[in-house]
Amino acid sequence: MSEPLRLIVNDVAVEYGTRRVLAGVSFALRAGETLVVTGANGSGKSSLLRVICGLQRAAHGTVTIEMDGRVFRPSEALHLLGWVAPDLHLYRELTALENLAFFAAVRGIRCTHADLEALLDEVGLGGRGGDLLAAYSSGMTQRLRYAYALLHHPVVLALDEPTVTFDARGVALVEGVVSRQRERGITIIATNDPREERFGDYILRLGQ
Amino acid sequence: MSDRLRLDQAAKLLLGVWMAGIVVAMFLVVPQYVGLGDAGRIIILHVPTAWITTVAFTVSAVYSIRYLWKRREADDAGAVAAAEVGFLFCTLATVSGMWFANVVWGTPWNWDPRETTILILLLIYAAYFALRSALDDVERRRRLAAVYNLFAAVTMPFLLFVAPRMAQSTLHPNCAFIQGSHCDGIWLEINGTRVGQLGDVVLALQGIEQRGDLAVAQVEVRMPGLQNVAVLAPTFELTSGKPADRPEFPGQQFLLAVEGVDLANGRVLLNMEAPGSGLLSNSRTFWTFMAANIGFLGLFIWLYRLRADVLLLQDRLARREVAYELPA
Amino acid sequence: MEPHVSSQSAADASTSAAPSEAPLLAAAWAVFRKDVRSELRTRYALNAILLFAVSTVVAMSLGMGPLTISRNADLPIIQAALLWVAILFAAFTGLARAFVQEEEARTAAALRLSARPTAVFLGKLLFNLALLLLLVAVTTVLFVIMLRVQVGNPGLLAALLLAGSLGLVAATTLIAAIIARASVKGALFAVLSFPLLAPLLVVAIQGSANAIAGRGWESGVGSLQVLAGYTIALFTASLFLFNSVWEP
Repeated sequence: MSEPLRLIVNDVAVEYGTRRVLAGVSFALRAGETLVVTGANGSGKSSLLRVICGLQRAAHGTVTIEMDGRVFRPSEALHLLGWVAPDLHLYRELTALENLAFFAAVRGIRCTHADLEALLDEVGLGGRGGDLLAAYSSGMTQRLRYAYALLHHPVVLALDEPTVTFDARGVALVEGVVSRQRERGITIIATNDPREERFGDYILRLGQ
Repeated sequence: MSDRLRLDQAAKLLLGVWMAGIVVAMFLVVPQYVGLGDAGRIIILHVPTAWITTVAFTVSAVYSIRYLWKRREADDAGAVAAAEVGFLFCTLATVSGMWFANVVWGTPWNWDPRETTILILLLIYAAYFALRSALDDVERRRRLAAVYNLFAAVTMPFLLFVAPRMAQSTLHPNCAFIQGSHCDGIWLEINGTRVGQLGDVVLALQGIEQRGDLAVAQVEVRMPGLQNVAVLAPTFELTSGKPADRPEFPGQQFLLAVEGVDLANGRVLLNMEAPGSGLLSNSRTFWTFMAANIGFLGLFIWLYRLRADVLLLQDRLARREVAYELPA
Repeated sequence: MEPHVSSQSAADASTSAAPSEAPLLAAAWAVFRKDVRSELRTRYALNAILLFAVSTVVAMSLGMGPLTISRNADLPIIQAALLWVAILFAAFTGLARAFVQEEEARTAAALRLSARPTAVFLGKLLFNLALLLLLVAVTTVLFVIMLRVQVGNPGLLAALLLAGSLGLVAATTLIAAIIARASVKGALFAVLSFPLLAPLLVVAIQGSANAIAGRGWESGVGSLQVLAGYTIALFTASLFLFNSVWEP
């Protein structure tokens, strides 16, 4: 009996130089489950999310994604992964629409101008798609990160400090995204905000 | 384990005695060569260091492939150690060669193919070390340095192919060192192509005549650094079919030889002999030279493995220090 | 800290069909178009590269003007060497930009998470090629006009410039990706690139000298073959090695 979707993190360790920030982290998640990762600054929350998305090398251990009987490493699973984080930067010299159109094109997603406009509406940036990112506020930039991450309907969504710089409507947006992701796949949230722990089916506390 | 240690000790001792023997032989066994004097002894040092340089570059590239494949730090340490020792030998070969060239050929640098190749090799090594020092993250440093090392290795065949086309002059007695190989020389004709070039020397055939069983060629010589045109008269023994009188180029220790004559059509085969040609036809020199090659190869293997061990040890010590600093 | 979380809840997830991976060439083309658009807006590389080329040629013509009048037999090789040196150093100022920009603006992660490494490499290679061809065209035209060079065989010179540019881009794009990850970028690019470009330079200069001297196509065929072989070898090696450079 093969599961439609599984994320397996096995004994992952992360090092910066010779300093270990994370060691022996293992867990497995299935479709529909949400994990909240908490921990003090420097406990390795963001690093763990980056390792899961294949954006950082693990000093030890493996991350695998099983999907419909196939097994992927993060670097082979670009189409399965979505990532929102404070250190996700998009192209400031391009407009929001140009950014999204570019990422859709490199992912091989066929979408019209109207589709992208609809996506921007969804994250609360309706009508601002023609502005250069350089003119965006931090809250708007955070909203666009959601558009970037949701563009390809990822089955594994990693959210690092999901509501940072968000107002009340922004928090509602995150709630909507997380609840919709429940129907699509796995969500992992790294946060220090106690109010966000309610999103999780499980809570992983690092550095204890 | 102790058996291996004892074997290591014995090998080290043997290497030391062997190298000492070569140094002694370099001065006592190798005879002086006509035209070179004591400077000729340098081939015992110069040629082996130069070829070890290419061995080191190859070893380093092989370790880099292994590193990218298996990602083991020992392979990276091997690649660095081979490159470092190679750099040392490369510098030795270049400096000894320049010194020799200055004494014998009158110029330390001539853009000879081998000089070009070794200079580029020096630059590649230097770039490899510069890259390593510019990368802070240890894993990334190893990975990107290995990539650069391999990428540089891909350009080497082109360099080896291109370098001889840069300057036609080969001051290195390429053809002379290994017996049986031969430099071509050029055919000049009194009624045809009278002017030709050997290295950066322009030769013009003025005349050819027979005197007894000797053929005498009159050759006008122009070369860089020479104010006037010189005329040389090399001769060729018709009976034995060998060059007889080989005059020296003015101001330099090259010899001009006639290696073939076609009197009926007025053609001669002219060639340049660098000093050092035929150096190895002396058996004492030849065996010392071979022993030196083996000795330097042993020295290289010992040095780079020692260096690789030191690098690995350093890495482990750095880790252990950090581990001790951690609160219990 | 050994946190283990395992779930037993049997969530019946209706996972949407995952989109398949993008066709390689279309993705590479998208990267190229994005870079061109960014470059046209910011002109980081364009300004640097063109101003550098213009200053070099002007500096040369200031110092070299009278040389064109004398009948020096070595003139073609001198002119060819100067032209290629001008192109090479202008290229060093601009060709690293495509990768360095991604690291400095910290957009590399977004790109790494969206595009396959090979698509990124091909897109950047194409962008560098376009930039270099523009540079070569501007430099050569200025050079020919300001130094009053009489090109005997313009077709051969153009072919050599094109082949040389292809080789230059094949060699430097991977190096640019390497130095983008390093702490000192500017000087390192030239230091790492130059030794690898030595064979290309020698062949390109010799062939260009023949073209300027007005010799026939047969005098340049050898050079063109070597340049083509060099380009193919380094391009293939880059494709193999780029994944190791691009991984985080």
